[in-house]
Amino acid sequence: MAAQSSLRTQRAALAALVAASVLGTPDVHAQVQWDGQVRAEINAPGTNTQGPLAQALRLQPGIAKPAAAGAALESELRANGHGLGLTATARTEKLEGDTVHTTGWINEAQASISVGSWSLSAGKKIVAWDVGYGFRPNDVVQQEARRTLMTVTATGRPLVMAEYFDADNAAALVWVNPTATRDATGAQEPALAARLYRRDGAVDWHLFARVGQRTGLSLGLASAWVASDKLELHASVRTLNRADTLALRSDGSLLSIANPWQPATVWRTQQAAFGGTWTNAAQFSLLLEAWWDGTAPTNAQWNAWNDRNRQLMALEKSPAPTQAIAGNLGWQTTAFNASTNLRQTNVFARASLTQEHWQPALDVLFTPEDGGRIITASVGWQGDRVRWEGGYRAYGGADNSIIAQLPNRRVGYLAATWAF
Amino acid sequence: MNIQLLAVVAALSTSLFSSAAQAQDIRPLLKAADAYRLASANMQVETQISVFNTDGTLDKERRYSVFAQANHQSLVLMQSAAEKGQKVLMLGDDFWLLLPGSQRPLRITPMQKLLGDASIGDIATLSWADDYSGSVRAEEACGEPKQACLRLGLTANRKSVTYQRMDLWIGKARHEPIKADLYVQSDKLAKVATFVMDKATAPTTVTEMLLRDQLTNKKETQVRYLARKDRTVPEAWLNPMFLARNPTLE
Repeated sequence: MAAQSSLRTQRAALAALVAASVLGTPDVHAQVQWDGQVRAEINAPGTNTQGPLAQALRLQPGIAKPAAAGAALESELRANGHGLGLTATARTEKLEGDTVHTTGWINEAQASISVGSWSLSAGKKIVAWDVGYGFRPNDVVQQEARRTLMTVTATGRPLVMAEYFDADNAAALVWVNPTATRDATGAQEPALAARLYRRDGAVDWHLFARVGQRTGLSLGLASAWVASDKLELHASVRTLNRADTLALRSDGSLLSIANPWQPATVWRTQQAAFGGTWTNAAQFSLLLEAWWDGTAPTNAQWNAWNDRNRQLMALEKSPAPTQAIAGNLGWQTTAFNASTNLRQTNVFARASLTQEHWQPALDVLFTPEDGGRIITASVGWQGDRVRWEGGYRAYGGADNSIIAQLPNRRVGYLAATWAF
Repeated sequence: MNIQLLAVVAALSTSLFSSAAQAQDIRPLLKAADAYRLASANMQVETQISVFNTDGTLDKERRYSVFAQANHQSLVLMQSAAEKGQKVLMLGDDFWLLLPGSQRPLRITPMQKLLGDASIGDIATLSWADDYSGSVRAEEACGEPKQACLRLGLTANRKSVTYQRMDLWIGKARHEPIKADLYVQSDKLAKVATFVMDKATAPTTVTEMLLRDQLTNKKETQVRYLARKDRTVPEAWLNPMFLARNPTLE
């Protein structure tokens, strides 16, 4: 019944789009514009010697595949015109000890039309909302991964969208993942999302609402303010009825026969982020941000996770089967995927400089609840068509911190991008 | 005491009227100089930037489409492969940077728009009459070959204008721009600009602006105006959220 209703609504939306295309004008364009890039990259991760995965591998070598060094060639092609937009990516990758794999995907494939001050779009599209850098609570449609090592083009979401624009205001109503099932989680969940935008001089105001088919209503507010010629400040808050997470579901025994980390719900919680960027005339920039994420596991949950790790490792001296201990230790890493953020409280700082062709940067993410930290140093060189970038990311902090127990301890990378 | 107060008020009034008169005098000169770069209030200007090393070799080249609109509104589209899809929107004192793939406008400060050897301000700011006020400082010879010029001392009307102070030399007879010394907020000389006209004897338009960096690398930047046409863009094009959709703007 629900599926039939969903199908009817999709047909109605498509019919509306077709009708509007008759009455309106496609997003104008005499010709199709093509561009793209080819990137060659090498990655060299260093596996961690502590944490549950390291212990599992020590007990049962081969139980999981640690991240391997590798090289990849990635090509991205973009085409726009006649109201249509397409972005596609092909990637050929060779990891150490593995064969060559080639894969491809569509980042965006969408059609748009304009009717007066309104625009209608349908297809697979990147719709990125909210303010800030390290964490965006109100990026409720795309839910883009943040602080990636290299700049990557996101893969859009299937959606139908209506937008309104005038000189100072904008409004958007999005039906995202219309064909997904009700039990899809996270960014795949079918939802209606809306944004109102108003420009008020030096301040941008954004109001957000999202109604997930299963998770229900969330409301958000964000603002970006240019406070002086050198300083930009931003803040974003969101309150949620419920959010998807993962939680330990144990039958009481320490050794489970299936992964005990199962989908769960966080009820009535909040997310908040604030920060600012200071830039001087020499193009030195300092970004400081702090955020709180109520959907991330609590201190008590992580303490229980650490306790469970210790108890599982203590079983090594017992007659319990080594394979079962290793398997349960491996499953402990599932908790790293419970939320966008590992810890609820986070502080982030980034210093960068733009000096002619060169762009060095240094950033640190610190989790004050347990003393974990991720430090990233990078440098980029931009030529007319070629961009070189390289960097090094180190995961560490206090021994019991979650970051210090991630599967990787470090990763280095080098990439060359040719734009055409 | 009252007489002294009246004298101060009178002096201030005289000074204010005098400043107003100077500002009023200089605006037609600036408008005339502007007309050599921006023939109407709403235009599309295709611009090419070439940056040369101190030894004269080409360092980099960039293409931009600039939609310069009335009321201090400009939209700059980056057209070179290295920057393709990037846009900078300038609405008065407010600026946004849009990056391809991100679909999220980024509020930037006036300092952040001072990018590269030719800043976005150099490319997008084509109207001195709206952005500066000042006075005629001197009549002196300038240019190659030497000609009679007016030297204008100009101060920015708004804090977000890239160069807060400027000495501008214009031809005395036709008011075409010839040379400018450009000062940043700290009052340091940042760049020296010279203007190349289409015809030396009867100039109608600026074809090139040469910028020599005085602060850091002493590199020379050539700003070439490849094409100009009257163009009023739709209202929505000046809304950062519309631009975030990555529409094709031509």
